[in-house]
Amino acid sequence: MTATTPAPKGTQPEGAGEGAALLEVGDLSVTFATDRGTARVVHQLSYSVGHAETLAIVGESGSGKTVSSRAVMGLLPPAAKVTGSIKLNGLELAGLPEHEMRRHRGRDVAMVFQDPARSLNPTMKVGEQVTEAIRLQSRTAKRQARQQAVDLLGQVRLPSPERRFHEYPHQLSGGMRQRVMIAIALAGSPKLLIADEATTALDVTTQAQIMDLLLDLQTEYRMGLILISHDMGLAASYAQTVMVMYAGQAVELAPVGELFTGVRMPYTKVLLDAVPRLDLPPHSPLPVVSLRAPDLTRPAPGCAFAPRCPRCADDCRQQDPVLEEHENKHFWACFHPEEPATAPTQAAPVREAAGPGAAVPGAPVQEVRQ
Amino acid sequence: MSAMLATDPGGVPAAGEGGEPLLRVRDVVQEFQLPGRGTVHACSGVSLDVREGEALGVVGESGSGKSTLVRSILQSPRPKSGQVLFLGQDLTRLRGKELLATRRHVQTVYQDPFGSLEPRWKALDIVAEPLVGYGVGDRRSRRARAAELLEMVGLDPAVHGRRRPAQLSGGQCQRVAIARALALQPKLLILDEAVSSLDVLSQSQVLILFERLRTELGLAYLFVAHDLAVVKQVSDRVAVMYLGKLCEVGPAQELYAAPRHPYTSALLASVPSPVPGRRARAPITGEVPSALDPPSGCRFRTRCPRARDLCAVEAPRPRTVNQGHTVACHFPIDQPEAAT
Amino acid sequence: MTVQAPEPLTRPGTLPAAAVPLRPPRSRLRTWLRRRDLDLWVPGVILAALVVGCFILPLTGIVPDPMSGDLTQVLRPPLSPGHILGTDTIGRDVMSRILYGGRTSIEVGLAVNAIGIVAGGLIGMFAGFRRGVFDSVIMRVLDVMLAFPALILTIVIATYLGASELNVIWAISFFSIPAYARLARAVTLKMREQVYIDAARMSGRSDRAILLRHIAPNVLPQLGTYSLLQVGIVVMIEATLSFLGAGVGPSQASWGTMIATGQTYLSTNPSLVLVPSAFLFVTVVSLNLLGDGLRSRYGRA
Repeated sequence: MTATTPAPKGTQPEGAGEGAALLEVGDLSVTFATDRGTARVVHQLSYSVGHAETLAIVGESGSGKTVSSRAVMGLLPPAAKVTGSIKLNGLELAGLPEHEMRRHRGRDVAMVFQDPARSLNPTMKVGEQVTEAIRLQSRTAKRQARQQAVDLLGQVRLPSPERRFHEYPHQLSGGMRQRVMIAIALAGSPKLLIADEATTALDVTTQAQIMDLLLDLQTEYRMGLILISHDMGLAASYAQTVMVMYAGQAVELAPVGELFTGVRMPYTKVLLDAVPRLDLPPHSPLPVVSLRAPDLTRPAPGCAFAPRCPRCADDCRQQDPVLEEHENKHFWACFHPEEPATAPTQAAPVREAAGPGAAVPGAPVQEVRQ
Repeated sequence: MSAMLATDPGGVPAAGEGGEPLLRVRDVVQEFQLPGRGTVHACSGVSLDVREGEALGVVGESGSGKSTLVRSILQSPRPKSGQVLFLGQDLTRLRGKELLATRRHVQTVYQDPFGSLEPRWKALDIVAEPLVGYGVGDRRSRRARAAELLEMVGLDPAVHGRRRPAQLSGGQCQRVAIARALALQPKLLILDEAVSSLDVLSQSQVLILFERLRTELGLAYLFVAHDLAVVKQVSDRVAVMYLGKLCEVGPAQELYAAPRHPYTSALLASVPSPVPGRRARAPITGEVPSALDPPSGCRFRTRCPRARDLCAVEAPRPRTVNQGHTVACHFPIDQPEAAT
Repeated sequence: MTVQAPEPLTRPGTLPAAAVPLRPPRSRLRTWLRRRDLDLWVPGVILAALVVGCFILPLTGIVPDPMSGDLTQVLRPPLSPGHILGTDTIGRDVMSRILYGGRTSIEVGLAVNAIGIVAGGLIGMFAGFRRGVFDSVIMRVLDVMLAFPALILTIVIATYLGASELNVIWAISFFSIPAYARLARAVTLKMREQVYIDAARMSGRSDRAILLRHIAPNVLPQLGTYSLLQVGIVVMIEATLSFLGAGVGPSQASWGTMIATGQTYLSTNPSLVLVPSAFLFVTVVSLNLLGDGLRSRYGRA
């Protein structure tokens, strides 16, 4: 296999929706100059999102998932160097000057951030912030915009929107603040919504509500949705396509069913196995993983995951695997992927044991406690 | 273990096997005054036990009072009322030196790996600090013991011991915090969201470490977290809290497979599982009520699908539904349904 | 408002996998300068040269007496033979007056801040750690002290005490101590809330040990970086006092006095004002840049 030939456009994954993709990212690379050298934060990233499709981008911190989305939004600091192509509905966004980018932000692509407490202006009433967002997108009179804001707050299922309109962010709970953030993001009726760890800081019950809201809104507004998260469970439950990132590169990309039942890239498998599962008994064994995180300022030749990969071989250290379509719509970047037979994760065989009748208090535990 | 720790100045009697539990929390109440706004009922009568060598998980969302419970157990600050019996002694009644002597057997690992370590100190000094605080050994033996502890948690004293927290990763910092917590050979380790700030892979390695330490050292854990799957992984028994009250306590496997309290059931159903396919809609609606003005009777009744008139009138008392499994609900789920 | 009892926000997976987090820098020029430590070296070298010139050179005997004037050499312009920066109205060598004046400025600057750090720091730390009545009383006293218009009161005190370097130091310290005390108290208050202080208590450390080993080592660096900026301000205040005649007095050389006496000759011999002004400017700017550079590296405690 030859290294570093970028994936030709024809093999890019097509969205589950219409034919032409809403967002097409091609060979996106982002580098930062830091005190310790140039960091290769995103490297040759290519993916696409269809019009009503949900893509989950999964990775740990440092994988480049957030930076790549901010590149799409044009929200990176001036010290970042961006190369590659970002096409939204055929329009090239990469390299656009700020004043042009501003016309697209909110109207074509919008983002919901992780921490609503920090993203909302604490000194401004919540309703005014939504109104402001509306007026930034279209020349609406203030009174009309205010009414639209109240409607929007109702659409995001904020209880008592007329009352909440006049409240400040600190008077709202985390879940409510996030709903306001979503309302602000929807003010321009964007075609693409990026949710960057939008539910990470929320309680799990609130997360479920917000995720339901996002998906309902997606259907209603016919938006493309990108979910960025470190939570594989979230990706499995809410996305149609999943892309796994490691050290700035996409290492696996597949429809959600294929990814979880037929995981190929060893990193994805480790990620899946390392998370405790509700359907497994207590004190289940977890995989031992080396914790040497990749140094983005000194990318080694070959696969970035090689030092920690249980299946690493010599060619992995010499050549850089490229993300290629190997099976129908299932892409991976690995020379020695997992075998399909062993790919299903621990869940399947043990699920029988976790059934209702098998629960015997104390029995499995005592073995461990000796 | 080092010989210098053979003498235990605390003079605290060890719990017998299967006898008195290590930690007995009885009806702990903790409240905070918010000037001009009233009283926050953070913890309203919580009771639980931790036996020697056992891992008890405490799970709850924000506002559940689980962190307040932990601080009340550690007496910082002292709870408004209730008892905290550790090895037979009531911590709420101890002061000064006595409290210090008993408290050495209960150590804590906190959520923020960087925040819980003195940023200007080297890892070895951080780990040795409890030995200094309790006047154990001399400088040389303390250094040796600190090195030993770092090795126990999987770090290299020669490499990591010399580094400051800013030069270590989150997972490594948390290991340093664990090593520090083990310095005085505690009987009970309180893990307050100890893995919540860590990356997925770091978290898994720290969980493996917890398992190993528990079996090797015979520690008891009080594992407080909001992540249900992580709590299940670590615990023998699990307690579920909501708005300052205990909903359900029981063996981990049984509680997760067949929850009896409606809140436990809704909580479990809200967790997205890594099984592909669109999941059912959010099982629970609305927001958590304010702890300033919690609902009368059962605090969960405002969001509970099974609530009836009695729930608003009378607060449910914990009832035993199975061995070691108690539920505080007037109408618990009878047929055990397998959680998703 | 839905109030939650104090519970920590839990954010899984927010810590970077790599050991040291990469922070995207603000601009490339700044990064270029910082990577070569130029933002520390340039002001540092300037200040070092100043210190050498003001304290060490005079000991070698090259520098003529700043107080004795040669009336045959009055008002010589800069670059005159024997007088690099010229002479003043009574024939005194300007260069030597600059150097001795610099010594005055540096001594006052250092002394005032040293007093501030020690006295103010101790008061602030105790107030912040102990809290309660002690804290309230101290803070009110400090508030009163700081409520006075600084420059005017400094002039009054200095005039009252009499013209001398020591009195100038005391006068300016009157404001320096409360300023440091407030900073020390603010830092202490923040430190107290840190989890590692809790952990230290759980490790059995006494209050005294915590103050000494945990609080003080974190307070001092902040006071230190603050002092670098303060030294510049104090130098300016001393120059102002001397300019207004309330400073060190005619028996000592001072940049402020030089500017004062030189201003009447501004149109004919501008160097008499420009030279001490330039030195004042360069000194204060260097102190500020050094303070900035150190603060951006070590300021975040």
